[in-house]
Amino acid sequence: MVGATASRNGWMIWLTFAIGMLLSVSPLPQFMEILRPLWLALLLAFWALALPHKVGMVTAWCLGLAEDVLYGTLLGQNALILTLITFLVLSLQQRLRMFPMWQQSLVILVIFGLAQLVQLWLSALTGNRQPTLALVLPALVSALLWPWISFGLRGLRRRYKIN
Amino acid sequence: MRLLVLVVLSVALMVVDARFTLLKPVRSQMSLVLMQSYWITDLPQRLWQGVASQFGSRTELVAENEKLKTENLLLQGRMQKLAALTEQNVRLRELLNSSALVNEKVEVAELIGMDPNPFTHRIIINKGERDGVVLGQPVLDARGLMGQVVELMPYTSRVLLLTDTTHSIPVQVNRNGLRAIASGTGNPERLELRHVADTADIKEGDLLVSSGLGQRFPAGYPVATVKEVIHDSGQPFAIVRAVPTAALNRSRYLLLVFSDTRTPEERANDAAQAQENLDAQGGGPIIPATVPKPAAVIAPAAAAAVPATAPAATPAKPAATTPVKPAAAHPAAAKPPATAPAAKPPATQPAVVKPAAKPPVSAPATTGGRE
Repeated sequence: MVGATASRNGWMIWLTFAIGMLLSVSPLPQFMEILRPLWLALLLAFWALALPHKVGMVTAWCLGLAEDVLYGTLLGQNALILTLITFLVLSLQQRLRMFPMWQQSLVILVIFGLAQLVQLWLSALTGNRQPTLALVLPALVSALLWPWISFGLRGLRRRYKIN
Repeated sequence: MRLLVLVVLSVALMVVDARFTLLKPVRSQMSLVLMQSYWITDLPQRLWQGVASQFGSRTELVAENEKLKTENLLLQGRMQKLAALTEQNVRLRELLNSSALVNEKVEVAELIGMDPNPFTHRIIINKGERDGVVLGQPVLDARGLMGQVVELMPYTSRVLLLTDTTHSIPVQVNRNGLRAIASGTGNPERLELRHVADTADIKEGDLLVSSGLGQRFPAGYPVATVKEVIHDSGQPFAIVRAVPTAALNRSRYLLLVFSDTRTPEERANDAAQAQENLDAQGGGPIIPATVPKPAAVIAPAAAAAVPATAPAATPAKPAATTPVKPAAAHPAAAKPPATAPAAKPPATQPAVVKPAAKPPVSAPATTGGRE
Protein backbone atom coordinates (compact mmCIF):
# COMPACT_ATOMS: atom_id res chain seq x y z
CA MET A 1 0.00 0.00 0.00
CA VAL A 2 2.68 2.43 1.05
CA GLY A 3 4.85 1.23 -1.79
CA ALA A 4 2.05 1.86 -4.23
CA THR A 5 1.64 5.50 -3.19
CA ALA A 6 5.38 5.95 -3.03
CA SER A 7 5.93 5.33 -6.72
CA ARG A 8 2.72 6.92 -7.87
CA ASN A 9 3.25 10.62 -7.77
CA GLY A 10 6.83 10.87 -8.91
CA TRP A 11 5.72 12.61 -12.08
CA MET A 12 4.79 15.66 -10.03
CA ILE A 13 8.48 16.23 -9.39
CA TRP A 14 9.19 16.24 -13.10
CA LEU A 15 6.26 18.52 -13.68
CA THR A 16 7.75 21.06 -11.28
CA PHE A 17 11.07 20.76 -13.09
CA ALA A 18 9.38 21.35 -16.43
CA ILE A 19 7.67 24.45 -15.06
CA GLY A 20 10.97 25.57 -13.61
CA MET A 21 12.55 25.22 -17.02
CA LEU A 22 9.80 27.31 -18.60
CA LEU A 23 10.25 29.95 -15.93
CA SER A 24 13.97 30.05 -16.56
CA VAL A 25 13.48 31.00 -20.21
CA SER A 26 10.33 33.12 -19.89
CA PRO A 27 10.78 36.65 -21.19
CA LEU A 28 11.25 39.34 -18.56
CA PRO A 29 11.61 43.11 -18.76
CA GLN A 30 15.18 44.21 -19.36
CA PHE A 31 15.91 45.40 -15.82
CA MET A 32 14.60 42.19 -14.28
CA GLU A 33 16.64 39.88 -16.48
CA ILE A 34 19.58 40.37 -14.19
CA LEU A 35 17.51 39.35 -11.16
CA ARG A 36 16.09 36.16 -12.63
CA PRO A 37 16.14 33.55 -9.85
CA LEU A 38 17.82 30.21 -10.43
CA TRP A 39 14.57 28.30 -10.69
CA LEU A 40 16.00 24.90 -11.45
CA ALA A 41 18.54 25.17 -8.66
CA LEU A 42 15.82 26.15 -6.18
CA LEU A 43 13.62 23.22 -7.18
CA LEU A 44 16.55 20.84 -7.07
CA ALA A 45 17.53 22.08 -3.62
CA PHE A 46 14.02 21.52 -2.31
CA TRP A 47 13.55 18.05 -3.77
CA ALA A 48 17.04 16.98 -2.75
CA LEU A 49 16.23 17.98 0.82
CA ALA A 50 12.80 16.41 0.81
CA LEU A 51 13.40 13.22 -1.19
CA PRO A 52 17.14 12.58 -1.28
CA HIS A 53 16.56 8.99 -2.46
CA LYS A 54 14.74 10.23 -5.54
CA VAL A 55 16.39 13.43 -6.60
CA GLY A 56 20.14 13.45 -6.50
CA MET A 57 23.18 14.57 -8.39
CA VAL A 58 22.43 12.54 -11.50
CA THR A 59 19.05 14.23 -11.85
CA ALA A 60 20.75 17.57 -11.36
CA TRP A 61 23.31 16.74 -14.01
CA CYS A 62 20.67 15.78 -16.57
CA LEU A 63 18.66 18.93 -15.88
CA GLY A 64 21.84 20.94 -16.19
CA LEU A 65 22.48 19.49 -19.64
CA ALA A 66 18.95 20.44 -20.65
CA GLU A 67 19.57 23.95 -19.40
CA ASP A 68 22.80 24.11 -21.40
CA VAL A 69 20.92 23.31 -24.57
CA LEU A 70 18.30 25.92 -23.73
CA TYR A 71 20.83 28.64 -23.00
CA GLY A 72 23.25 27.72 -25.77
CA THR A 73 26.17 27.50 -23.36
CA LEU A 74 28.81 24.79 -23.56
CA LEU A 75 27.31 21.38 -22.89
CA GLY A 76 28.20 20.55 -19.30
CA GLN A 77 28.56 24.06 -17.90
CA ASN A 78 25.22 24.32 -16.15
CA ALA A 79 25.32 20.58 -15.53
CA LEU A 80 28.45 21.10 -13.48
CA ILE A 81 26.93 24.00 -11.56
CA LEU A 82 23.70 22.21 -10.71
CA THR A 83 25.61 19.09 -9.67
CA LEU A 84 27.74 21.17 -7.33
CA ILE A 85 24.67 22.83 -5.82
CA THR A 86 22.98 19.51 -5.26
CA PHE A 87 26.13 18.08 -3.76
CA LEU A 88 26.43 20.93 -1.27
CA VAL A 89 22.74 20.72 -0.36
CA LEU A 90 22.94 16.97 0.11
CA SER A 91 26.02 17.17 2.27
CA LEU A 92 24.40 19.81 4.48
CA GLN A 93 21.08 18.00 4.40
CA GLN A 94 20.95 16.80 8.01
CA ARG A 95 21.67 20.26 9.37
CA LEU A 96 19.53 22.15 6.85
CA ARG A 97 16.46 20.21 7.85
CA MET A 98 16.88 21.33 11.47
CA PHE A 99 17.41 24.99 10.64
CA PRO A 100 14.66 27.59 10.87
CA MET A 101 13.62 29.11 7.58
CA TRP A 102 15.74 32.28 7.68
CA GLN A 103 18.85 30.24 8.38
CA GLN A 104 18.04 27.93 5.50
CA SER A 105 17.77 31.00 3.30
CA LEU A 106 21.20 32.15 4.40
CA VAL A 107 22.76 28.79 3.60
CA ILE A 108 21.03 28.78 0.23
CA LEU A 109 22.41 32.26 -0.41
CA VAL A 110 25.94 31.07 0.28
CA ILE A 111 25.62 27.92 -1.81
CA PHE A 112 24.07 29.71 -4.79
CA GLY A 113 26.56 32.52 -4.48
CA LEU A 114 29.41 30.02 -4.72
CA ALA A 115 27.75 28.38 -7.70
CA GLN A 116 27.38 31.71 -9.46
CA LEU A 117 31.06 32.43 -8.88
CA VAL A 118 31.95 29.13 -10.50
CA GLN A 119 29.61 30.11 -13.31
CA LEU A 120 31.51 33.40 -13.66
CA TRP A 121 34.83 31.58 -13.90
CA LEU A 122 33.54 29.12 -16.45
CA SER A 123 32.10 31.79 -18.69
CA ALA A 124 35.30 33.81 -18.36
CA LEU A 125 37.18 30.72 -19.52
CA THR A 126 34.96 30.36 -22.54
CA GLY A 127 35.38 34.01 -23.45
CA ASN A 128 32.01 35.44 -22.47
CA ARG A 129 33.27 37.58 -19.68
CA GLN A 130 30.51 39.04 -17.61
CA PRO A 131 31.43 42.41 -16.31
CA THR A 132 30.45 42.60 -12.68
CA LEU A 133 29.58 40.86 -9.49
CA ALA A 134 26.00 41.68 -10.40
CA LEU A 135 25.62 38.05 -11.22
CA VAL A 136 25.52 37.21 -7.51
CA LEU A 137 22.16 39.02 -7.54
CA PRO A 138 20.25 35.96 -8.78
CA ALA A 139 21.56 34.07 -5.75
CA LEU A 140 20.21 36.80 -3.48
CA VAL A 141 16.82 36.78 -5.16
CA SER A 142 16.71 32.99 -5.01
CA ALA A 143 17.52 33.06 -1.30
CA LEU A 144 14.70 35.53 -0.72
CA LEU A 145 12.35 33.31 -2.68
CA TRP A 146 13.40 30.16 -0.85
CA PRO A 147 10.85 30.34 2.02
CA TRP A 148 7.95 30.68 -0.41
CA ILE A 149 9.17 27.98 -2.74
CA SER A 150 9.76 25.77 0.24
CA PHE A 151 6.29 26.31 1.74
CA GLY A 152 4.60 25.96 -1.61
CA LEU A 153 6.32 22.77 -2.60
CA ARG A 154 5.84 21.28 0.87
CA GLY A 155 2.12 21.93 0.53
CA LEU A 156 2.16 20.30 -2.88
CA ARG A 157 4.02 17.35 -1.50
CA ARG A 158 1.60 16.84 1.40
CA ARG A 159 -1.38 17.20 -0.89
CA TYR A 160 -0.27 14.66 -3.46
CA LYS A 161 1.66 12.51 -1.00
CA ILE A 162 4.72 12.57 -3.18
CA ASN A 163 7.26 10.18 -1.80
CA MET B 1 32.43 9.64 -5.57
CA ARG B 2 29.42 10.22 -7.73
CA LEU B 3 30.20 13.93 -7.61
CA LEU B 4 33.69 13.28 -8.90
CA VAL B 5 32.43 11.22 -11.81
CA LEU B 6 29.82 13.81 -12.75
CA VAL B 7 32.26 16.70 -12.46
CA VAL B 8 34.82 14.96 -14.62
CA LEU B 9 32.11 14.07 -17.08
CA SER B 10 30.89 17.65 -17.37
CA VAL B 11 34.38 19.04 -17.74
CA ALA B 12 35.08 16.48 -20.47
CA LEU B 13 31.82 17.42 -22.18
CA MET B 14 32.68 21.09 -22.05
CA VAL B 15 36.11 20.55 -23.55
CA VAL B 16 34.75 18.34 -26.31
CA ASP B 17 31.95 20.78 -27.04
CA ALA B 18 34.35 23.70 -27.22
CA ARG B 19 36.96 22.01 -29.40
CA PHE B 20 35.14 19.57 -31.64
CA THR B 21 31.88 19.30 -33.49
CA LEU B 22 31.26 15.83 -32.14
CA LEU B 23 28.39 16.83 -29.87
CA LYS B 24 26.47 18.96 -32.35
CA PRO B 25 24.02 16.18 -33.32
CA VAL B 26 23.31 15.42 -29.65
CA ARG B 27 22.65 19.06 -28.99
CA SER B 28 20.41 19.40 -31.99
CA GLN B 29 18.38 16.34 -31.00
CA MET B 30 17.93 17.65 -27.47
CA SER B 31 17.00 21.06 -28.74
CA LEU B 32 14.25 19.51 -30.80
CA VAL B 33 12.35 18.87 -27.57
CA LEU B 34 13.69 21.59 -25.33
CA MET B 35 13.32 24.52 -27.68
CA GLN B 36 9.58 24.03 -27.42
CA SER B 37 9.77 25.76 -24.07
CA TYR B 38 10.67 29.03 -25.76
CA TRP B 39 7.67 28.53 -27.96
CA ILE B 40 5.46 27.82 -24.94
CA THR B 41 6.65 30.85 -23.00
CA ASP B 42 5.99 32.92 -26.09
CA LEU B 43 2.47 31.53 -26.36
CA PRO B 44 0.66 34.02 -24.10
CA GLN B 45 1.92 36.94 -26.14
CA ARG B 46 0.97 35.20 -29.35
CA LEU B 47 -2.51 34.50 -28.01
CA TRP B 48 -2.84 38.08 -26.86
CA GLN B 49 -1.90 39.31 -30.29
CA GLY B 50 -4.44 36.95 -31.80
CA VAL B 51 -7.17 38.18 -29.50
CA ALA B 52 -6.21 41.79 -30.07
CA SER B 53 -6.39 41.37 -33.81
CA GLN B 54 -9.76 39.63 -33.46
CA PHE B 55 -11.24 42.52 -31.55
CA GLY B 56 -9.48 45.34 -33.32
CA SER B 57 -12.09 47.98 -34.07
CA ARG B 58 -13.17 48.59 -37.62
CA THR B 59 -12.12 52.23 -37.70
CA GLU B 60 -8.67 51.31 -36.52
CA LEU B 61 -8.36 48.69 -39.20
CA VAL B 62 -9.56 51.06 -41.85
CA ALA B 63 -7.10 53.69 -40.69
CA GLU B 64 -4.29 51.16 -40.70
CA ASN B 65 -5.31 49.97 -44.12
CA GLU B 66 -5.21 53.54 -45.41
CA LYS B 67 -1.80 54.06 -43.91
CA LEU B 68 -0.43 50.85 -45.36
CA LYS B 69 -1.83 51.73 -48.78
CA THR B 70 -0.11 55.10 -48.75
CA GLU B 71 3.09 53.51 -47.60
CA ASN B 72 2.82 50.88 -50.26
CA LEU B 73 2.30 53.54 -52.89
CA LEU B 74 5.36 55.44 -51.72
CA LEU B 75 7.48 52.31 -51.65
CA GLN B 76 6.35 51.26 -55.08
CA GLY B 77 7.16 54.68 -56.40
CA ARG B 78 10.62 54.29 -55.00
CA MET B 79 10.83 50.79 -56.44
CA GLN B 80 10.30 52.07 -59.97
CA LYS B 81 13.30 54.22 -59.62
CA LEU B 82 15.19 51.39 -57.98
CA ALA B 83 14.71 49.13 -60.97
CA ALA B 84 16.32 51.68 -63.23
CA LEU B 85 19.10 52.30 -60.75
CA THR B 86 19.78 48.60 -60.31
CA GLU B 87 20.03 48.20 -64.03
CA GLN B 88 22.40 51.11 -64.27
CA ASN B 89 24.44 49.80 -61.38
CA VAL B 90 24.78 46.42 -63.04
CA ARG B 91 25.93 48.02 -66.25
CA LEU B 92 28.47 50.21 -64.50
CA ARG B 93 29.79 47.23 -62.60
CA GLU B 94 30.15 45.39 -65.85
CA LEU B 95 32.25 48.21 -67.19
CA LEU B 96 34.44 47.82 -64.12
CA ASN B 97 34.53 44.06 -64.56
CA SER B 98 33.53 43.69 -60.92
CA SER B 99 31.30 40.92 -59.80
CA ALA B 100 29.35 42.21 -56.83
CA LEU B 101 25.86 40.91 -56.49
CA VAL B 102 22.99 43.33 -56.44
CA ASN B 103 20.11 41.11 -55.48
CA GLU B 104 19.95 38.74 -52.57
CA LYS B 105 17.16 36.43 -51.59
CA VAL B 106 15.53 36.98 -48.23
CA GLU B 107 13.14 34.99 -46.11
CA VAL B 108 11.02 36.11 -43.19
CA ALA B 109 11.60 34.63 -39.75
CA GLU B 110 9.90 35.31 -36.47
CA LEU B 111 11.46 35.98 -33.10
CA ILE B 112 10.42 33.38 -30.55
CA GLY B 113 12.70 34.04 -27.61
CA MET B 114 15.41 36.10 -26.02
CA ASP B 115 18.47 34.67 -24.39
CA PRO B 116 17.77 34.64 -20.63
CA ASN B 117 21.34 35.68 -19.85
CA PRO B 118 21.26 39.49 -19.59
CA PHE B 119 24.95 39.81 -20.44
CA THR B 120 24.66 38.34 -23.92
CA HIS B 121 22.57 39.70 -26.74
CA ARG B 122 21.18 36.70 -28.51
CA ILE B 123 17.74 35.90 -29.80
CA ILE B 124 16.04 32.75 -30.98
CA ILE B 125 14.18 32.64 -34.28
CA ASN B 126 11.74 30.14 -35.68
CA LYS B 127 13.75 29.07 -38.72
CA GLY B 128 16.40 26.39 -38.49
CA GLU B 129 18.55 23.96 -40.36
CA ARG B 130 15.56 22.31 -42.02
CA ASP B 131 14.53 25.67 -43.47
CA GLY B 132 17.89 26.06 -45.12
CA VAL B 133 19.44 28.42 -42.61
CA VAL B 134 23.23 28.19 -42.47
CA LEU B 135 25.77 29.10 -39.85
CA GLY B 136 26.89 32.70 -40.07
CA GLN B 137 23.90 33.78 -42.10
CA PRO B 138 23.15 37.51 -41.82
CA VAL B 139 19.86 38.60 -40.26
CA LEU B 140 18.14 41.91 -40.99
CA ASP B 141 15.06 43.69 -39.87
CA ALA B 142 13.18 46.32 -41.86
CA ARG B 143 15.65 49.03 -40.89
CA GLY B 144 19.07 47.45 -40.99
CA LEU B 145 21.38 44.63 -40.06
CA MET B 146 20.66 42.84 -36.82
CA GLY B 147 23.25 40.11 -36.49
CA GLN B 148 24.22 36.65 -37.61
CA VAL B 149 23.21 33.07 -36.95
CA VAL B 150 25.57 31.43 -34.48
CA GLU B 151 23.86 28.19 -33.60
CA LEU B 152 21.70 25.93 -35.72
CA MET B 153 19.01 23.68 -34.41
CA PRO B 154 16.58 21.69 -36.53
CA TYR B 155 13.68 24.14 -36.43
CA THR B 156 15.12 27.09 -34.57
CA SER B 157 18.37 28.98 -34.55
CA ARG B 158 20.20 31.37 -32.31
CA VAL B 159 21.17 34.79 -33.61
CA LEU B 160 24.00 36.85 -32.15
CA LEU B 161 23.09 40.53 -32.27
CA LEU B 162 25.43 43.30 -33.38
CA THR B 163 25.53 44.78 -29.90
CA ASP B 164 26.85 41.69 -28.14
CA THR B 165 30.25 42.34 -26.62
CA THR B 166 31.78 39.49 -28.61
CA HIS B 167 30.51 40.77 -31.96
CA SER B 168 32.17 43.09 -34.45
CA ILE B 169 31.22 43.98 -37.98
CA PRO B 170 33.21 45.71 -40.74
CA VAL B 171 31.44 48.87 -41.82
CA GLN B 172 32.06 51.89 -43.96
CA VAL B 173 30.78 55.42 -43.83
CA ASN B 174 28.19 55.77 -46.54
CA ARG B 175 29.16 59.35 -47.30
CA ASN B 176 32.81 58.76 -48.16
CA GLY B 177 33.56 55.06 -47.91
CA LEU B 178 35.78 55.33 -44.84
CA ARG B 179 36.22 51.84 -43.43
CA ALA B 180 36.00 50.91 -39.76
CA ILE B 181 35.00 48.12 -37.45
CA ALA B 182 31.92 48.46 -35.30
CA SER B 183 32.00 46.47 -32.10
CA GLY B 184 29.16 45.70 -29.76
CA THR B 185 29.22 47.18 -26.29
CA GLY B 186 26.60 45.16 -24.46
CA ASN B 187 24.23 48.11 -24.63
CA PRO B 188 21.39 47.47 -27.10
CA GLU B 189 21.49 51.09 -28.31
CA ARG B 190 25.20 51.46 -28.73
CA LEU B 191 27.99 50.37 -31.07
CA GLU B 192 31.55 51.60 -30.91
CA LEU B 193 33.93 52.16 -33.79
CA ARG B 194 37.38 50.92 -32.84
CA HIS B 195 40.66 52.44 -33.96
CA VAL B 196 39.35 55.36 -35.95
CA ALA B 197 42.10 57.91 -36.51
CA ASP B 198 41.58 61.25 -34.82
CA THR B 199 41.73 63.02 -38.15
CA ALA B 200 39.35 60.68 -39.98
CA ASP B 201 36.46 62.29 -41.79
CA ILE B 202 33.57 61.04 -39.75
CA LYS B 203 30.91 63.09 -38.06
CA GLU B 204 27.66 62.96 -36.22
CA GLY B 205 24.77 61.68 -38.29
CA ASP B 206 26.86 59.67 -40.73
CA LEU B 207 25.24 56.46 -41.88
CA LEU B 208 27.40 53.36 -41.50
CA VAL B 209 26.73 50.55 -43.95
CA SER B 210 28.19 47.07 -43.99
CA SER B 211 31.28 46.95 -46.16
CA GLY B 212 31.16 43.25 -46.92
CA LEU B 213 34.85 42.91 -46.19
CA GLY B 214 34.57 40.12 -43.67
CA GLN B 215 32.80 38.03 -46.32
CA ARG B 216 30.14 37.35 -43.75
CA PHE B 217 27.70 40.21 -44.21
CA PRO B 218 26.56 41.38 -47.63
CA ALA B 219 27.77 44.85 -48.52
CA GLY B 220 25.58 47.91 -48.41
CA TYR B 221 23.06 47.24 -45.68
CA PRO B 222 22.64 50.02 -43.11
CA VAL B 223 24.17 49.16 -39.74
CA ALA B 224 24.19 52.26 -37.56
CA THR B 225 24.17 56.02 -37.49
CA VAL B 226 26.99 57.87 -35.78
CA LYS B 227 25.76 59.49 -32.61
CA GLU B 228 28.83 61.23 -31.30
CA VAL B 229 32.49 61.64 -32.17
CA ILE B 230 34.74 62.58 -29.29
CA HIS B 231 38.24 63.86 -29.94
CA ASP B 232 40.21 63.40 -26.76
CA SER B 233 43.80 64.52 -27.08
CA GLY B 234 44.79 62.05 -24.39
CA GLN B 235 43.56 59.12 -26.46
CA PRO B 236 45.35 57.67 -29.48
CA PHE B 237 42.09 57.27 -31.41
CA ALA B 238 38.83 59.12 -31.69
CA ILE B 239 35.95 57.74 -29.69
CA VAL B 240 33.06 57.12 -32.07
CA ARG B 241 29.71 55.95 -30.80
CA ALA B 242 26.88 54.86 -33.05
CA VAL B 243 23.28 53.75 -32.67
CA PRO B 244 22.19 50.65 -34.59
CA THR B 245 19.54 51.44 -37.18
CA ALA B 246 17.80 48.11 -36.64
CA ALA B 247 15.39 47.91 -33.73
CA LEU B 248 17.48 45.27 -32.02
CA ASN B 249 15.29 44.81 -29.00
CA ARG B 250 11.94 45.56 -30.58
CA SER B 251 11.70 43.81 -33.93
CA ARG B 252 9.59 40.71 -34.00
CA TYR B 253 9.85 39.89 -37.70
CA LEU B 254 13.29 39.46 -39.16
CA LEU B 255 14.71 38.79 -42.59
CA LEU B 256 17.23 36.05 -43.25
CA VAL B 257 19.52 36.90 -46.16
CA PHE B 258 20.49 34.12 -48.52
CA SER B 259 23.44 35.34 -50.51
CA ASP B 260 24.91 33.51 -53.43
CA THR B 261 27.90 31.70 -51.99
CA ARG B 262 29.02 30.08 -55.23
CA THR B 263 32.29 31.15 -56.72
CA PRO B 264 32.17 32.86 -60.12
CA GLU B 265 33.35 29.67 -61.80
CA GLU B 266 30.63 27.60 -60.22
CA ARG B 267 28.11 30.17 -61.30
CA ALA B 268 29.43 30.04 -64.85
CA ASN B 269 29.18 26.28 -64.74
CA ASP B 270 25.64 26.39 -63.49
CA ALA B 271 24.73 28.90 -66.12
CA ALA B 272 26.18 26.66 -68.81
CA GLN B 273 24.31 23.71 -67.40
CA ALA B 274 21.06 25.63 -67.33
CA GLN B 275 21.61 26.69 -70.90
CA GLU B 276 22.24 23.12 -72.01
CA ASN B 277 19.03 22.06 -70.37
CA LEU B 278 17.23 24.86 -72.11
CA ASP B 279 18.67 23.81 -75.43
CA ALA B 280 17.74 20.22 -74.80
CA GLN B 281 14.17 21.28 -74.21
CA GLY B 282 14.14 23.19 -77.44
CA GLY B 283 14.19 26.56 -75.73
CA GLY B 284 16.75 27.68 -78.26
CA PRO B 285 14.54 28.80 -81.13
CA ILE B 286 12.82 31.38 -78.97
CA ILE B 287 15.97 33.33 -78.42
CA PRO B 288 16.85 34.27 -81.97
CA ALA B 289 13.33 35.53 -82.45
CA THR B 290 13.49 38.12 -79.70
CA VAL B 291 17.14 39.02 -79.51
CA PRO B 292 18.95 41.48 -81.74
CA LYS B 293 21.13 40.18 -84.51
CA PRO B 294 24.61 39.60 -83.02
CA ALA B 295 23.31 37.63 -80.07
CA ALA B 296 21.15 35.57 -82.37
CA VAL B 297 24.18 34.61 -84.35
CA ILE B 298 25.97 33.52 -81.25
CA ALA B 299 23.15 31.45 -79.90
CA PRO B 300 22.99 28.79 -82.58
CA ALA B 301 26.75 28.62 -82.68
CA ALA B 302 26.90 27.86 -79.01
CA ALA B 303 24.03 25.47 -79.25
CA ALA B 304 25.97 23.60 -81.85
CA ALA B 305 29.16 23.74 -79.83
CA VAL B 306 27.77 22.43 -76.61
CA PRO B 307 26.72 19.00 -77.72
CA ALA B 308 29.71 18.66 -79.98
CA THR B 309 32.65 19.46 -77.75
CA ALA B 310 31.96 20.57 -74.28
CA PRO B 311 30.48 19.09 -71.15
CA ALA B 312 29.74 21.71 -68.53
CA ALA B 313 33.12 21.52 -66.86
CA THR B 314 35.39 22.46 -69.73
CA PRO B 315 33.77 25.68 -70.86
CA ALA B 316 34.26 27.13 -67.43
CA LYS B 317 38.00 27.24 -67.78
CA PRO B 318 38.29 29.41 -70.83
CA ALA B 319 35.55 31.54 -69.39
CA ALA B 320 37.63 32.13 -66.31
CA THR B 321 40.52 33.43 -68.34
CA THR B 322 38.68 35.64 -70.79
CA PRO B 323 37.98 39.16 -69.58
CA VAL B 324 34.28 38.79 -70.21
CA LYS B 325 33.94 36.28 -67.42
CA PRO B 326 32.45 38.41 -64.65
CA ALA B 327 29.65 39.40 -66.91
CA ALA B 328 28.90 35.80 -67.66
CA ALA B 329 29.44 34.82 -64.08
CA HIS B 330 26.13 35.88 -62.63
CA PRO B 331 23.34 35.10 -64.94
CA ALA B 332 20.76 36.96 -62.90
CA ALA B 333 22.55 40.27 -62.76
CA ALA B 334 24.66 40.35 -65.87
CA LYS B 335 23.09 41.97 -68.85
CA PRO B 336 25.58 42.72 -71.59
CA PRO B 337 22.62 44.39 -73.27
CA ALA B 338 24.73 47.37 -72.41
CA THR B 339 25.50 46.73 -76.04
CA ALA B 340 22.08 45.52 -77.09
CA PRO B 341 19.80 47.78 -75.12
CA ALA B 342 16.62 46.94 -76.93
CA ALA B 343 15.84 43.72 -75.11
CA LYS B 344 16.60 43.44 -71.43
CA PRO B 345 14.02 41.08 -69.98
CA PRO B 346 14.38 37.34 -69.54
CA ALA B 347 14.56 36.77 -73.24
CA THR B 348 18.13 37.99 -73.47
CA GLN B 349 19.24 36.26 -70.39
CA PRO B 350 19.86 32.88 -72.01
CA ALA B 351 21.77 34.60 -74.75
CA VAL B 352 23.94 36.31 -72.20
CA VAL B 353 24.45 33.14 -70.29
CA LYS B 354 25.86 31.67 -73.40
CA PRO B 355 29.39 33.04 -73.26
CA ALA B 356 30.14 30.57 -70.49
CA ALA B 357 29.48 27.73 -72.85
CA LYS B 358 30.68 29.42 -75.96
CA PRO B 359 34.38 30.21 -75.70
CA PRO B 360 35.48 26.84 -77.11
CA VAL B 361 34.19 27.98 -80.48
CA SER B 362 35.71 31.38 -80.96
CA ALA B 363 35.95 33.35 -77.81
CA PRO B 364 37.92 36.47 -78.75
CA ALA B 365 35.98 37.17 -81.90
CA THR B 366 32.56 37.08 -80.32
CA THR B 367 33.49 39.00 -77.21
CA GLY B 368 34.98 41.68 -79.35
CA GLY B 369 31.81 41.85 -81.36
CA ARG B 370 29.72 42.38 -78.30
CA GLU B 371 31.54 45.39 -76.96
